[in-house]
Amino acid sequence: MKSFLMLGIVAISISLSLPVSASPLLDGYAQAAKAELSSFDGFSAERGRVLFNSTHTTGKVATPSCTSCHTADPKKVGHTRAGKEIAPMAFSISASRYNDLKKAEKWFGRNCGSVLGRKCTAIEKGDFITFMKTQ
Amino acid sequence: MPHINSEASIPEEKLIWDLPLRVFHWSMVLTVAIAALTGYFFEEWWLDVHVYAGYSIGCLLAFRLIWGFVGSYYSRFHTYPVKIKDVTLHLKSLMRGKSEPHTGHNPVGAWMIMVLLSSLTLLIITGMVVWGGQENQGPLAQLIGYKVGDFSEDIHEILANILMFAIAIHILGVLVETFVFKHSLIKSMVTGKKATTDTKASVTIWHTLRGAFIFGLILTGVLYWGAIAPSPFMTETHVFPAYKQECGECHPAYHPSLRTASNWQAIMNNLSDHFGEDASLDEQTTQEISTYLQANNAQSFDTEVSHKIGRHDTKSMRMTDTRYWQKKHDEIKDSDFKHSSIGSKVNCNGCHQDADTGRYDDEKIKLPKGVKS
Repeated sequence: MKSFLMLGIVAISISLSLPVSASPLLDGYAQAAKAELSSFDGFSAERGRVLFNSTHTTGKVATPSCTSCHTADPKKVGHTRAGKEIAPMAFSISASRYNDLKKAEKWFGRNCGSVLGRKCTAIEKGDFITFMKTQ
Repeated sequence: MPHINSEASIPEEKLIWDLPLRVFHWSMVLTVAIAALTGYFFEEWWLDVHVYAGYSIGCLLAFRLIWGFVGSYYSRFHTYPVKIKDVTLHLKSLMRGKSEPHTGHNPVGAWMIMVLLSSLTLLIITGMVVWGGQENQGPLAQLIGYKVGDFSEDIHEILANILMFAIAIHILGVLVETFVFKHSLIKSMVTGKKATTDTKASVTIWHTLRGAFIFGLILTGVLYWGAIAPSPFMTETHVFPAYKQECGECHPAYHPSLRTASNWQAIMNNLSDHFGEDASLDEQTTQEISTYLQANNAQSFDTEVSHKIGRHDTKSMRMTDTRYWQKKHDEIKDSDFKHSSIGSKVNCNGCHQDADTGRYDDEKIKLPKGVKS
Protein backbone atom coordinates (compact mmCIF):
# COMPACT_ATOMS: atom_id res chain seq x y z
CA MET A 1 0.00 0.00 0.00
CA LYS A 2 2.75 2.37 1.05
CA SER A 3 4.80 1.60 -2.03
CA PHE A 4 1.83 2.35 -4.26
CA LEU A 5 1.44 5.69 -2.57
CA MET A 6 5.11 6.46 -3.10
CA LEU A 7 4.84 5.42 -6.74
CA GLY A 8 1.90 7.76 -7.15
CA ILE A 9 3.74 10.71 -5.64
CA VAL A 10 6.76 10.05 -7.84
CA ALA A 11 4.59 9.81 -10.95
CA ILE A 12 2.79 13.06 -10.15
CA SER A 13 5.99 14.97 -9.44
CA ILE A 14 7.57 13.72 -12.68
CA SER A 15 4.56 14.74 -14.76
CA LEU A 16 4.47 18.15 -13.12
CA SER A 17 8.14 18.75 -13.82
CA LEU A 18 7.77 17.91 -17.53
CA PRO A 19 7.78 20.95 -19.78
CA VAL A 20 4.16 21.53 -20.87
CA SER A 21 4.00 21.66 -24.61
CA ALA A 22 1.30 24.24 -25.30
CA SER A 23 0.38 22.72 -28.62
CA PRO A 24 1.79 19.33 -29.53
CA LEU A 25 0.70 20.04 -33.12
CA LEU A 26 3.21 22.84 -33.59
CA ASP A 27 6.26 20.61 -33.10
CA GLY A 28 5.12 18.36 -35.90
CA TYR A 29 4.33 21.27 -38.22
CA ALA A 30 7.72 22.86 -37.40
CA GLN A 31 9.50 19.72 -38.53
CA ALA A 32 7.46 19.60 -41.72
CA ALA A 33 8.13 23.31 -42.27
CA LYS A 34 11.89 22.77 -42.10
CA ALA A 35 11.54 20.09 -44.72
CA GLU A 36 9.51 22.51 -46.86
CA LEU A 37 11.86 25.44 -46.51
CA SER A 38 15.43 25.08 -45.36
CA SER A 39 15.58 28.73 -44.28
CA PHE A 40 12.53 28.28 -42.00
CA ASP A 41 13.19 30.08 -38.71
CA GLY A 42 9.97 29.68 -36.72
CA PHE A 43 6.29 30.44 -37.08
CA SER A 44 4.91 33.95 -37.09
CA ALA A 45 1.69 35.06 -35.43
CA GLU A 46 1.63 38.11 -37.70
CA ARG A 47 1.75 35.99 -40.88
CA GLY A 48 -0.99 33.84 -39.35
CA ARG A 49 -3.10 36.92 -38.68
CA VAL A 50 -2.78 38.08 -42.27
CA LEU A 51 -3.64 34.61 -43.58
CA PHE A 52 -6.72 34.48 -41.33
CA ASN A 53 -8.00 37.94 -42.19
CA SER A 54 -7.25 38.36 -45.87
CA THR A 55 -9.67 37.86 -48.68
CA HIS A 56 -8.67 35.33 -51.29
CA THR A 57 -9.94 34.91 -54.80
CA THR A 58 -8.63 31.43 -55.53
CA GLY A 59 -11.12 29.46 -53.48
CA LYS A 60 -14.88 29.07 -53.53
CA VAL A 61 -16.97 32.17 -54.10
CA ALA A 62 -19.02 31.65 -50.94
CA THR A 63 -15.95 31.37 -48.71
CA PRO A 64 -13.31 33.94 -49.74
CA SER A 65 -11.81 34.14 -46.24
CA CYS A 66 -11.42 32.21 -42.99
CA THR A 67 -13.54 34.95 -41.50
CA SER A 68 -16.47 34.05 -43.78
CA CYS A 69 -17.38 31.38 -41.27
CA HIS A 70 -15.20 32.05 -38.21
CA THR A 71 -15.92 35.82 -38.09
CA ALA A 72 -13.12 38.38 -37.86
CA ASP A 73 -12.86 37.91 -34.11
CA PRO A 74 -11.34 34.50 -33.24
CA LYS A 75 -12.87 34.77 -29.78
CA LYS A 76 -16.35 34.74 -31.23
CA VAL A 77 -18.58 31.84 -32.20
CA GLY A 78 -18.74 31.27 -35.95
CA HIS A 79 -21.34 29.57 -38.12
CA THR A 80 -21.06 26.88 -40.77
CA ARG A 81 -22.79 27.60 -44.03
CA ALA A 82 -25.49 25.23 -42.85
CA GLY A 83 -25.98 27.41 -39.79
CA LYS A 84 -24.39 25.27 -37.11
CA GLU A 85 -22.27 27.03 -34.49
CA ILE A 86 -18.49 26.78 -34.69
CA ALA A 87 -16.66 27.07 -31.39
CA PRO A 88 -14.25 30.05 -31.26
CA MET A 89 -10.80 29.46 -32.74
CA ALA A 90 -8.93 31.44 -30.06
CA PHE A 91 -6.58 29.32 -28.00
CA SER A 92 -7.68 31.12 -24.82
CA ILE A 93 -11.19 29.75 -25.30
CA SER A 94 -10.84 26.50 -27.25
CA ALA A 95 -7.38 25.16 -26.36
CA SER A 96 -8.59 21.59 -26.86
CA ARG A 97 -8.94 22.24 -30.59
CA TYR A 98 -5.17 22.02 -30.93
CA ASN A 99 -4.55 18.61 -29.40
CA ASP A 100 -5.65 16.32 -32.19
CA LEU A 101 -3.54 16.15 -35.34
CA LYS A 102 -6.11 14.09 -37.21
CA LYS A 103 -8.83 16.62 -36.54
CA ALA A 104 -6.59 19.57 -37.42
CA GLU A 105 -5.57 17.92 -40.70
CA LYS A 106 -9.21 17.20 -41.54
CA TRP A 107 -10.19 20.84 -41.19
CA PHE A 108 -7.07 22.33 -42.79
CA GLY A 109 -7.65 19.86 -45.62
CA ARG A 110 -11.25 20.94 -46.17
CA ASN A 111 -10.99 24.64 -45.47
CA CYS A 112 -7.71 25.46 -47.23
CA GLY A 113 -9.31 23.97 -50.32
CA SER A 114 -12.50 26.03 -49.91
CA VAL A 115 -10.82 29.33 -49.07
CA LEU A 116 -7.51 29.18 -50.96
CA GLY A 117 -8.33 26.64 -53.63
CA ARG A 118 -5.22 24.67 -52.70
CA LYS A 119 -3.56 22.82 -49.84
CA CYS A 120 -1.94 24.83 -47.06
CA THR A 121 1.77 24.54 -46.43
CA ALA A 122 3.05 23.41 -43.06
CA ILE A 123 4.32 26.95 -42.51
CA GLU A 124 0.82 28.37 -43.08
CA LYS A 125 -0.70 25.84 -40.71
CA GLY A 126 1.89 26.62 -38.05
CA ASP A 127 1.47 30.37 -38.52
CA PHE A 128 -2.29 29.97 -38.18
CA ILE A 129 -2.01 28.04 -34.93
CA THR A 130 0.64 30.44 -33.62
CA PHE A 131 -1.68 33.37 -34.31
CA MET A 132 -4.53 31.61 -32.54
CA LYS A 133 -2.29 31.02 -29.53
CA THR A 134 -1.97 34.77 -29.13
CA GLN A 135 -5.73 35.11 -29.07
CA MET B 1 -90.43 -1.20 -24.38
CA PRO B 2 -91.51 2.32 -25.22
CA HIS B 3 -94.37 3.58 -23.33
CA ILE B 4 -96.92 5.53 -25.25
CA ASN B 5 -99.10 7.80 -23.24
CA SER B 6 -102.73 6.97 -23.27
CA GLU B 7 -104.94 9.98 -23.48
CA ALA B 8 -106.77 9.09 -20.29
CA SER B 9 -103.90 9.27 -17.79
CA ILE B 10 -102.36 12.55 -16.72
CA PRO B 11 -98.61 12.76 -17.38
CA GLU B 12 -96.36 14.05 -14.63
CA GLU B 13 -92.69 15.08 -14.52
CA LYS B 14 -90.58 12.07 -13.74
CA LEU B 15 -86.84 11.37 -13.63
CA ILE B 16 -86.13 8.99 -16.51
CA TRP B 17 -82.51 9.73 -17.49
CA ASP B 18 -80.15 8.93 -14.62
CA LEU B 19 -77.37 11.38 -13.79
CA PRO B 20 -74.50 9.18 -15.06
CA LEU B 21 -76.22 8.94 -18.47
CA ARG B 22 -76.66 12.71 -18.67
CA VAL B 23 -73.08 13.39 -17.61
CA PHE B 24 -71.98 10.82 -20.20
CA HIS B 25 -73.99 12.53 -22.92
CA TRP B 26 -72.69 16.04 -22.38
CA SER B 27 -69.11 14.87 -21.77
CA MET B 28 -69.39 13.07 -25.08
CA VAL B 29 -70.58 16.26 -26.77
CA LEU B 30 -67.54 18.11 -25.43
CA THR B 31 -64.91 15.47 -26.17
CA VAL B 32 -66.26 14.65 -29.63
CA ALA B 33 -66.31 18.37 -30.42
CA ILE B 34 -62.64 18.64 -29.41
CA ALA B 35 -61.70 15.52 -31.37
CA ALA B 36 -63.59 16.71 -34.45
CA LEU B 37 -62.18 20.23 -34.38
CA THR B 38 -58.60 19.07 -33.89
CA GLY B 39 -59.04 16.26 -36.40
CA TYR B 40 -60.65 18.24 -39.20
CA PHE B 41 -59.38 21.77 -38.84
CA PHE B 42 -56.31 22.09 -36.64
CA GLU B 43 -52.66 21.79 -37.62
CA GLU B 44 -51.00 18.46 -36.95
CA TRP B 45 -49.26 19.55 -33.78
CA TRP B 46 -52.67 19.40 -32.12
CA LEU B 47 -52.56 15.64 -32.56
CA ASP B 48 -51.86 15.06 -28.89
CA VAL B 49 -55.00 17.00 -27.94
CA HIS B 50 -56.92 14.94 -30.50
CA VAL B 51 -55.54 11.76 -28.96
CA TYR B 52 -56.35 12.85 -25.38
CA ALA B 53 -59.90 13.54 -26.56
CA GLY B 54 -59.87 10.07 -28.11
CA TYR B 55 -58.79 8.41 -24.87
CA SER B 56 -61.53 10.32 -23.03
CA ILE B 57 -64.12 9.22 -25.58
CA GLY B 58 -62.84 5.66 -25.19
CA CYS B 59 -63.40 5.79 -21.43
CA LEU B 60 -66.84 7.32 -21.87
CA LEU B 61 -67.77 4.68 -24.44
CA ALA B 62 -66.63 1.82 -22.25
CA PHE B 63 -68.77 3.28 -19.52
CA ARG B 64 -71.78 3.64 -21.80
CA LEU B 65 -71.51 0.08 -23.11
CA ILE B 66 -71.49 -1.25 -19.53
CA TRP B 67 -74.21 1.19 -18.49
CA GLY B 68 -76.40 -0.21 -21.25
CA PHE B 69 -76.67 -3.34 -19.10
CA VAL B 70 -76.51 -2.07 -15.54
CA GLY B 71 -77.88 1.49 -15.73
CA SER B 72 -81.35 2.64 -14.87
CA TYR B 73 -84.31 1.41 -16.93
CA TYR B 74 -84.15 3.71 -19.96
CA SER B 75 -80.34 3.56 -20.13
CA ARG B 76 -80.44 -0.17 -20.77
CA PHE B 77 -80.16 -1.34 -24.34
CA HIS B 78 -82.85 -4.01 -23.96
CA THR B 79 -85.43 -1.25 -23.46
CA TYR B 80 -84.60 0.29 -26.84
CA PRO B 81 -87.50 0.14 -29.32
CA VAL B 82 -85.31 -1.07 -32.16
CA LYS B 83 -87.67 -3.62 -33.74
CA ILE B 84 -88.29 -2.99 -37.42
CA LYS B 85 -92.03 -2.88 -36.70
CA ASP B 86 -91.56 -0.03 -34.21
CA VAL B 87 -89.35 1.85 -36.61
CA THR B 88 -91.75 1.59 -39.54
CA LEU B 89 -94.66 2.65 -37.35
CA HIS B 90 -92.65 5.61 -36.11
CA LEU B 91 -91.53 6.56 -39.61
CA LYS B 92 -95.09 6.31 -40.93
CA SER B 93 -96.38 8.62 -38.25
CA LEU B 94 -93.53 11.03 -38.93
CA MET B 95 -94.62 11.06 -42.59
CA ARG B 96 -98.06 12.06 -41.48
CA GLY B 97 -96.49 14.91 -39.52
CA LYS B 98 -96.88 13.30 -36.15
CA SER B 99 -94.50 11.98 -33.56
CA GLU B 100 -95.89 10.15 -30.59
CA PRO B 101 -94.10 11.04 -27.35
CA HIS B 102 -91.84 8.28 -26.04
CA THR B 103 -90.62 8.10 -22.49
CA GLY B 104 -87.19 6.75 -23.41
CA HIS B 105 -85.81 6.92 -26.91
CA ASN B 106 -88.15 6.82 -29.86
CA PRO B 107 -87.41 4.03 -32.40
CA VAL B 108 -85.51 6.21 -34.88
CA GLY B 109 -83.66 7.81 -31.98
CA ALA B 110 -82.74 4.41 -30.55
CA TRP B 111 -81.27 3.39 -33.89
CA MET B 112 -79.39 6.63 -34.00
CA ILE B 113 -77.83 5.86 -30.61
CA MET B 114 -76.73 2.46 -31.93
CA VAL B 115 -75.14 4.07 -35.00
CA LEU B 116 -73.42 6.72 -32.88
CA LEU B 117 -72.09 4.27 -30.32
CA SER B 118 -70.85 1.76 -32.87
CA SER B 119 -69.19 4.33 -35.13
CA LEU B 120 -67.54 5.89 -32.07
CA THR B 121 -66.29 2.48 -30.97
CA LEU B 122 -64.78 1.81 -34.40
CA LEU B 123 -63.29 5.30 -34.43
CA ILE B 124 -61.53 4.66 -31.13
CA ILE B 125 -60.19 1.30 -32.32
CA THR B 126 -58.95 2.62 -35.68
CA GLY B 127 -57.61 5.73 -33.98
CA MET B 128 -55.50 3.67 -31.62
CA VAL B 129 -54.20 1.65 -34.55
CA VAL B 130 -53.18 4.85 -36.38
CA TRP B 131 -51.62 6.20 -33.19
CA GLY B 132 -49.61 3.01 -32.71
CA GLY B 133 -48.85 2.07 -36.31
CA GLN B 134 -48.36 5.36 -38.09
CA GLU B 135 -47.26 7.58 -35.23
CA ASN B 136 -45.43 4.93 -33.20
CA GLN B 137 -47.10 6.06 -30.01
CA GLY B 138 -49.44 4.69 -27.41
CA PRO B 139 -49.89 1.12 -26.22
CA LEU B 140 -49.99 -0.36 -29.74
CA ALA B 141 -46.75 1.31 -30.90
CA GLN B 142 -44.73 -1.87 -30.84
CA LEU B 143 -47.49 -4.17 -32.00
CA ILE B 144 -48.65 -2.49 -35.17
CA GLY B 145 -46.60 -1.67 -38.26
CA TYR B 146 -46.67 1.52 -40.25
CA LYS B 147 -48.64 0.14 -43.21
CA VAL B 148 -51.51 -1.10 -41.05
CA GLY B 149 -51.55 2.25 -39.26
CA ASP B 150 -51.58 4.14 -42.53
CA PHE B 151 -54.44 2.05 -43.91
CA SER B 152 -56.31 2.44 -40.66
CA GLU B 153 -56.09 6.20 -41.04
CA ASP B 154 -58.23 6.02 -44.19
CA ILE B 155 -60.84 3.95 -42.35
CA HIS B 156 -60.68 6.34 -39.40
CA GLU B 157 -61.42 9.26 -41.73
CA ILE B 158 -64.34 7.51 -43.41
CA LEU B 159 -65.77 6.63 -39.98
CA ALA B 160 -65.31 10.21 -38.84
CA ASN B 161 -67.34 11.40 -41.83
CA ILE B 162 -70.05 8.84 -41.04
CA LEU B 163 -70.08 10.02 -37.43
CA MET B 164 -70.35 13.67 -38.45
CA PHE B 165 -73.25 12.81 -40.73
CA ALA B 166 -74.94 10.80 -37.97
CA ILE B 167 -74.44 13.63 -35.48
CA ALA B 168 -75.98 16.07 -37.94
CA ILE B 169 -79.06 13.84 -38.33
CA HIS B 170 -79.16 13.31 -34.54
CA ILE B 171 -79.18 17.06 -33.90
CA LEU B 172 -81.68 17.67 -36.68
CA GLY B 173 -83.96 14.96 -35.26
CA VAL B 174 -83.76 16.46 -31.78
CA LEU B 175 -84.50 19.94 -33.12
CA VAL B 176 -87.51 18.68 -35.08
CA GLU B 177 -88.78 16.81 -32.03
CA THR B 178 -88.24 19.85 -29.84
CA PHE B 179 -89.58 22.63 -32.04
CA VAL B 180 -92.01 20.85 -34.34
CA PHE B 181 -93.47 18.20 -32.08
CA LYS B 182 -92.83 20.06 -28.80
CA HIS B 183 -91.13 17.14 -27.07
CA SER B 184 -88.49 18.87 -24.98
CA LEU B 185 -85.74 16.32 -25.52
CA ILE B 186 -82.86 18.74 -24.84
CA LYS B 187 -84.33 19.87 -21.52
CA SER B 188 -84.82 16.22 -20.57
CA MET B 189 -81.18 15.44 -21.28
CA VAL B 190 -80.25 18.24 -18.89
CA THR B 191 -82.72 17.72 -16.05
CA GLY B 192 -83.35 14.03 -16.68
CA LYS B 193 -87.06 14.69 -16.39
CA LYS B 194 -89.90 14.05 -18.79
CA ALA B 195 -93.64 14.39 -18.48
CA THR B 196 -94.84 10.84 -18.53
CA THR B 197 -97.31 8.39 -17.08
CA ASP B 198 -94.62 5.75 -17.19
CA THR B 199 -94.05 3.62 -14.13
CA LYS B 200 -90.98 1.66 -15.20
CA ALA B 201 -88.29 4.25 -14.65
CA SER B 202 -87.15 4.34 -11.07
CA VAL B 203 -83.99 6.39 -11.00
CA THR B 204 -82.39 6.65 -7.59
CA ILE B 205 -79.21 7.98 -5.99
CA TRP B 206 -77.85 4.43 -6.22
CA HIS B 207 -77.60 4.77 -9.99
CA THR B 208 -75.41 7.83 -9.57
CA LEU B 209 -73.15 6.03 -7.12
CA ARG B 210 -73.00 2.91 -9.27
CA GLY B 211 -72.19 5.01 -12.35
CA ALA B 212 -69.45 6.91 -10.56
CA PHE B 213 -67.97 3.66 -9.30
CA ILE B 214 -67.94 2.04 -12.75
CA PHE B 215 -66.47 5.12 -14.41
CA GLY B 216 -63.85 5.30 -11.66
CA LEU B 217 -62.87 1.70 -12.36
CA ILE B 218 -62.56 2.35 -16.10
CA LEU B 219 -60.49 5.47 -15.58
CA THR B 220 -58.17 3.71 -13.14
CA GLY B 221 -57.78 0.82 -15.57
CA VAL B 222 -56.97 3.06 -18.53
CA LEU B 223 -54.50 5.17 -16.54
CA TYR B 224 -52.81 2.02 -15.23
CA TRP B 225 -52.66 0.60 -18.76
CA GLY B 226 -51.13 3.82 -20.00
CA ALA B 227 -48.53 3.62 -17.26
CA ILE B 228 -47.51 0.00 -17.86
CA ALA B 229 -47.77 -0.01 -21.66
CA PRO B 230 -44.35 -0.33 -23.34
CA SER B 231 -42.95 3.08 -24.12
CA PRO B 232 -42.78 3.95 -27.80
CA PHE B 233 -39.51 2.89 -29.38
CA MET B 234 -36.94 5.61 -29.68
CA THR B 235 -34.80 5.69 -32.76
CA GLU B 236 -32.15 8.04 -31.38
CA THR B 237 -30.29 5.16 -29.80
CA HIS B 238 -29.65 3.68 -33.24
CA VAL B 239 -27.49 6.56 -34.35
CA PHE B 240 -23.85 5.57 -34.74
CA PRO B 241 -21.43 7.81 -32.77
CA ALA B 242 -19.00 8.38 -35.68
CA TYR B 243 -21.92 9.33 -37.92
CA LYS B 244 -23.33 11.69 -35.32
CA GLN B 245 -19.92 13.26 -34.71
CA GLU B 246 -18.74 13.71 -38.29
CA CYS B 247 -22.02 14.62 -39.98
CA GLY B 248 -23.17 16.69 -37.03
CA GLU B 249 -20.20 19.04 -37.14
CA CYS B 250 -21.55 21.24 -39.94
CA HIS B 251 -25.27 20.52 -39.97
CA PRO B 252 -27.69 18.54 -37.81
CA ALA B 253 -26.86 14.84 -38.07
CA TYR B 254 -29.98 13.83 -39.98
CA HIS B 255 -31.45 10.60 -38.81
CA PRO B 256 -30.37 7.72 -41.11
CA SER B 257 -34.04 6.84 -41.69
CA LEU B 258 -34.43 10.00 -43.78
CA ARG B 259 -32.69 8.73 -46.94
CA THR B 260 -32.53 5.57 -49.01
CA ALA B 261 -29.49 3.29 -49.02
CA SER B 262 -28.68 4.40 -52.57
CA ASN B 263 -28.94 8.11 -51.78
CA TRP B 264 -26.72 7.63 -48.74
CA GLN B 265 -24.20 5.76 -50.84
CA ALA B 266 -24.14 8.52 -53.44
CA ILE B 267 -23.62 11.12 -50.71
CA MET B 268 -20.78 9.14 -49.14
CA ASN B 269 -19.11 8.64 -52.52
CA ASN B 270 -18.94 12.36 -53.16
CA LEU B 271 -17.99 13.97 -49.85
CA SER B 272 -15.41 16.27 -51.45
CA ASP B 273 -18.27 18.06 -53.18
CA HIS B 274 -20.99 17.77 -50.57
CA PHE B 275 -23.71 20.18 -51.72
CA GLY B 276 -20.93 22.58 -52.66
CA GLU B 277 -18.86 22.01 -49.52
CA ASP B 278 -15.74 19.95 -49.05
CA ALA B 279 -16.75 17.42 -46.42
CA SER B 280 -13.99 14.88 -47.06
CA LEU B 281 -13.24 12.33 -44.38
CA ASP B 282 -10.36 9.95 -44.01
CA GLU B 283 -10.81 6.61 -45.72
CA GLN B 284 -11.43 4.59 -42.60
CA THR B 285 -14.14 6.92 -41.26
CA THR B 286 -15.78 7.13 -44.68
CA GLN B 287 -15.86 3.34 -44.83
CA GLU B 288 -17.27 3.00 -41.31
CA ILE B 289 -20.05 5.49 -41.92
CA SER B 290 -20.89 4.02 -45.33
CA THR B 291 -21.19 0.57 -43.83
CA TYR B 292 -23.41 1.95 -41.09
CA LEU B 293 -25.69 3.69 -43.60
CA GLN B 294 -26.01 0.61 -45.76
CA ALA B 295 -27.33 -1.24 -42.73
CA ASN B 296 -29.32 1.68 -41.30
CA ASN B 297 -31.45 3.71 -43.68
CA ALA B 298 -35.10 4.39 -44.44
CA GLN B 299 -35.69 0.72 -45.17
CA SER B 300 -34.60 -0.22 -41.64
CA PHE B 301 -37.10 2.00 -39.83
CA ASP B 302 -40.87 1.63 -39.72
CA THR B 303 -41.68 5.26 -38.96
CA GLU B 304 -43.99 7.62 -40.81
CA VAL B 305 -41.13 9.86 -41.93
CA SER B 306 -39.08 6.91 -43.20
CA HIS B 307 -42.02 5.80 -45.33
CA LYS B 308 -43.11 9.17 -46.61
CA ILE B 309 -39.76 10.91 -47.07
CA GLY B 310 -36.89 8.53 -46.33
CA ARG B 311 -37.79 5.84 -48.83
CA HIS B 312 -38.00 8.20 -51.79
CA ASP B 313 -34.80 8.66 -53.74
CA THR B 314 -34.19 12.15 -55.03
CA LYS B 315 -31.83 13.13 -57.79
CA SER B 316 -30.37 15.92 -55.67
CA MET B 317 -30.18 13.53 -52.70
CA ARG B 318 -31.94 16.23 -50.69
CA MET B 319 -34.97 15.20 -48.63
CA THR B 320 -36.38 18.66 -49.21
CA ASP B 321 -36.95 17.61 -52.82
CA THR B 322 -39.35 14.82 -51.91
CA ARG B 323 -42.97 15.53 -52.69
CA TYR B 324 -44.13 14.84 -49.17
CA TRP B 325 -41.58 17.23 -47.66
CA GLN B 326 -42.69 19.95 -50.02
CA LYS B 327 -46.37 19.32 -49.42
CA LYS B 328 -45.86 19.46 -45.66
CA HIS B 329 -43.88 22.71 -45.80
CA ASP B 330 -45.67 24.52 -48.60
CA GLU B 331 -47.27 27.06 -46.31
CA ILE B 332 -43.98 28.05 -44.73
CA LYS B 333 -42.50 31.05 -46.47
CA ASP B 334 -38.85 31.26 -47.51
CA SER B 335 -38.43 34.21 -45.17
CA ASP B 336 -39.70 32.04 -42.30
CA PHE B 337 -36.94 29.51 -42.90
CA LYS B 338 -34.50 32.38 -42.38
CA HIS B 339 -35.95 33.07 -38.93
CA SER B 340 -33.14 33.49 -36.39
CA SER B 341 -33.94 30.24 -34.61
CA ILE B 342 -34.29 28.20 -37.82
CA GLY B 343 -31.66 29.58 -40.18
CA SER B 344 -32.48 27.54 -43.24
CA LYS B 345 -34.24 24.44 -44.51
CA VAL B 346 -31.36 22.25 -43.40
CA ASN B 347 -32.19 22.83 -39.76
CA CYS B 348 -35.06 20.45 -39.03
CA ASN B 349 -34.55 21.03 -35.31
CA GLY B 350 -35.70 24.62 -35.78
CA CYS B 351 -39.29 23.39 -35.49
CA HIS B 352 -39.14 19.60 -35.02
CA GLN B 353 -38.02 19.27 -31.43
CA ASP B 354 -37.46 15.54 -31.78
CA ALA B 355 -35.65 15.61 -35.13
CA ASP B 356 -32.58 13.89 -33.69
CA THR B 357 -34.62 10.83 -32.82
CA GLY B 358 -35.97 10.51 -36.35
CA ARG B 359 -39.49 10.31 -34.94
CA TYR B 360 -40.82 13.66 -36.12
CA ASP B 361 -43.92 13.37 -33.96
CA ASP B 362 -46.70 15.73 -34.95
CA GLU B 363 -47.06 17.11 -31.47
CA LYS B 364 -43.33 17.84 -31.26
CA ILE B 365 -43.60 20.54 -33.92
CA LYS B 366 -43.16 23.98 -32.41
CA LEU B 367 -42.96 26.92 -34.77
CA PRO B 368 -40.75 29.69 -33.41
CA LYS B 369 -42.52 32.93 -32.56
CA GLY B 370 -43.43 34.90 -35.63
CA VAL B 371 -43.56 31.95 -38.02
CA LYS B 372 -46.97 31.17 -39.38
CA SER B 373 -48.00 27.98 -41.07
